[in-house]
Amino acid sequence: MLILSRKSGESIVIDGRIHVKIVRVEGDVVKIGIEAPSEVPVHRREVYEEIQCSNEQALTRQNVALPKLPLSGSPKQGNEISKAL
Amino acid sequence: MNSANVIEIEEPEMSEAAACCEVRMPAGLLGFEHIKNFLLIAKPAEAPFRWLQVKNNPSLAFVVIEPLYFAPDYRPDIPQADVDFLGLSSPDDVAVYNIVTVHGPRRATVNLKGPVIINRNTGVAKQVVIANAVEYSVEHPLPVNGAA
Repeated sequence: MLILSRKSGESIVIDGRIHVKIVRVEGDVVKIGIEAPSEVPVHRREVYEEIQCSNEQALTRQNVALPKLPLSGSPKQGNEISKAL
Repeated sequence: MNSANVIEIEEPEMSEAAACCEVRMPAGLLGFEHIKNFLLIAKPAEAPFRWLQVKNNPSLAFVVIEPLYFAPDYRPDIPQADVDFLGLSSPDDVAVYNIVTVHGPRRATVNLKGPVIINRNTGVAKQVVIANAVEYSVEHPLPVNGAA
């Protein structure tokens, strides 16, 4: 891992297009500003990993029995897919 | 979706046909970035659940549900970058699905932090990490019949 020392207000540049700036340091909290092209997803790692882990648990086989929901939804709704997507 | 993208699948064990349309996810799902093409399948007997099935591997699928069935107050804040990525220009363009984890016949949870947002007009979709993810859970319990 590359480790750099930066002061408040200083930045690093990644791949010539992603700018990471140390905005402020308050105790053990570092505020970071990130400028990246819109096609580069930027997430807090814990949120990203939480969703990734949830996706892995959710992946299933089509023959799994689905629970019944106490809903008033009309069973016809399944046929509305071309309209409702 | 135009009608050319709608396929009728005959289910031998069911009298009612399932409805299906193609969904393209250029960025995949988080953890499954390599899978880009899915089918969104609705079987009437399983409503309001639907299947987000891997297009070239029918044995792999995710169960999904629209939030209006269980969380009518759900307000996912879609980052502008994702709005641009999906080419959304009006709320009418958007279909929102949440991925369900089925833990058993009496327990299911829904991921509200990372909904699958679909552009209805193009069939392009993305799993979006919503800007207000901190307000929601990845394990929101579904009200299931018979749950303890």
